[in-house]
Amino acid sequence: MLYVQMLVNGIMLGALYACLAIGFSLVWGVLNVINMLHGSLLVLGGYLTYTAWHDYGVHPLIALFAVAFALFLLGYAIQRILINRVVDMPVLVTMTLTFALDLILYNFMIVYFTATPVRVTLNLGVIDAGGIFVPVDRLAGMVLALLLTGLLYVVLRRSRIGRAIVAVRMDRSAAMLMGIRVEHIYAITFGIGALMAGATGAVFAMVYPMTTDLDFTFLGKAFIVCIIGGLGSVQGALVGGLVLGLVESIAGQFLGPQYALTAGFALMLVLLVAMPTGLTGVKGFE
Amino acid sequence: MPEPLLKVESLHAGYGEVRVLWGVDIDIEAGEIACIVGSNGAGKTTLLRALSGLVAVSSGKLLFDGVELAGLPADQILARGIAHVPEGRRLFRGMSVRDNLLLGAYLRSDKVEIHRDLDYVFSIFPILKERQHQDATTLSGGEQQMCAVARGIMSRPRLLMIDELSLGLAPRMVERLGEALIEVNKIGLAILIVEQDVMTAFELARRGFVIETGVVRMRGNTQMLAKDPMIRQAYLGL
Ligand SMILES: Nc1ncnc2c1ncn2[C@@H]1O[C@H](COP(=O)(O)OP(=O)(O)OP(=O)(O)O)[C@@H](O)[C@H]1O
Ligand SMILES: [Mg+2]
Repeated sequence: MLYVQMLVNGIMLGALYACLAIGFSLVWGVLNVINMLHGSLLVLGGYLTYTAWHDYGVHPLIALFAVAFALFLLGYAIQRILINRVVDMPVLVTMTLTFALDLILYNFMIVYFTATPVRVTLNLGVIDAGGIFVPVDRLAGMVLALLLTGLLYVVLRRSRIGRAIVAVRMDRSAAMLMGIRVEHIYAITFGIGALMAGATGAVFAMVYPMTTDLDFTFLGKAFIVCIIGGLGSVQGALVGGLVLGLVESIAGQFLGPQYALTAGFALMLVLLVAMPTGLTGVKGFE
Repeated sequence: MPEPLLKVESLHAGYGEVRVLWGVDIDIEAGEIACIVGSNGAGKTTLLRALSGLVAVSSGKLLFDGVELAGLPADQILARGIAHVPEGRRLFRGMSVRDNLLLGAYLRSDKVEIHRDLDYVFSIFPILKERQHQDATTLSGGEQQMCAVARGIMSRPRLLMIDELSLGLAPRMVERLGEALIEVNKIGLAILIVEQDVMTAFELARRGFVIETGVVRMRGNTQMLAKDPMIRQAYLGL
């Protein structure tokens, strides 16, 4: 029974982690930009959703879509105005740039958002399935995360813009010969990354308490998921997310909750040392 | 004589400090098949890249249908009707044949017509229809070239430029591609072929340009060029 509960918790958490990492993985895979801003965008999405719900009485689902759209625009603008200028430089340059942006956004958030943890409390109750306890809000969070992930997959595989994103990743100059404007597709891609971060942040705020200083925890988890699942695919992020969720859930059970995070990072270290090509070995976003 | 479809005048272009093209003059008439030949490193690929906006033009004219295209970005040049099938096919890995073809029509929004054109290229290259759901880069070399040419046609260009049509392909396959191009040409599409294999190029094209170190050395009817002693010696090995 304990094991089943662990499994259920791990899967619910893992779906959130997959959704959390996917935008980060997409931006890394397509733009070769390590987006240090990703964690803060999640926090921003969470707080904006909370504020819309708490202060203005907006339904959290509607808030989620509005926030996701707003973050898409923000991401598009950041790439178009700033990152595109240096996107061809070594990865360290863009990493530093997004790190600087992260510091700015973080400072902005600690000024404008309260320091106390916030949460969109849905009060949906708990399902008791023969001794396995499933909080309904977490279940809803998992379903939302999987839906968002699936939606992104379909957009990338089936839409015109998705084909263009993959084409740019595979062969930039051939993509230009198709009439694809690379700077536009880069901005769209970064925008989608921000959109996914914002939407995941909104989901997190419905499931767990959100604080501003979670930004680096989120970023760290995005890294781990990419390393476990391999960079550059929706499926990879899904696998990575679920593995991380399960590892944390198991470690939390046997070693204590305070070690859950450490277990994830330890796994990342082991994987990095054992297969250092895991990050660069996979090409393209499928 | 009517205005040519494409008129290139003293075109200079290169890569950064390296100048490759030193005043190229060529003209392509609407609906014709023309070819460019020349030895390795003569600047043939660079010329095509300059025409399609991948390489910056430093000076010279590039009139297409009377409109100046020099300096325009690649997407606007394609939108005006010049498609470029690059050297080495450059199909998108991890994507199906069909998705590759649809990317050729990326700039178009006329869905119905896009599907009509898809059927059209499938009718010219039936093997692509059979393989439409297969990863394009798993096709054989010849099939990949068919896919690349078909992808170029999918943009509905008025001029289709093909770099190294025959490279690495068996003679039978080259013949097959040539027949397809003649068929496509019949519906009014002008074609510019760049070739290492001068014999193949001269058989397909009505007019030819010989490029050496970034300038056009010779031009004219391909039947005349094939009789030229210099060309026979340097390019036909006769
Ligand atoms: N990206 C580049 N950067 C710098 N120089 C280049 C680049 N591409 C080509 N060149 C140079 O430009 C010159 C012409 O090259 P180009 O590829 O146009 O020749 P080509 O006629 O197509 O040759 P081939 O028959 O081998 O394909 C060569 O000297 C080459 O080294
Ligand atoms: Mg060449």
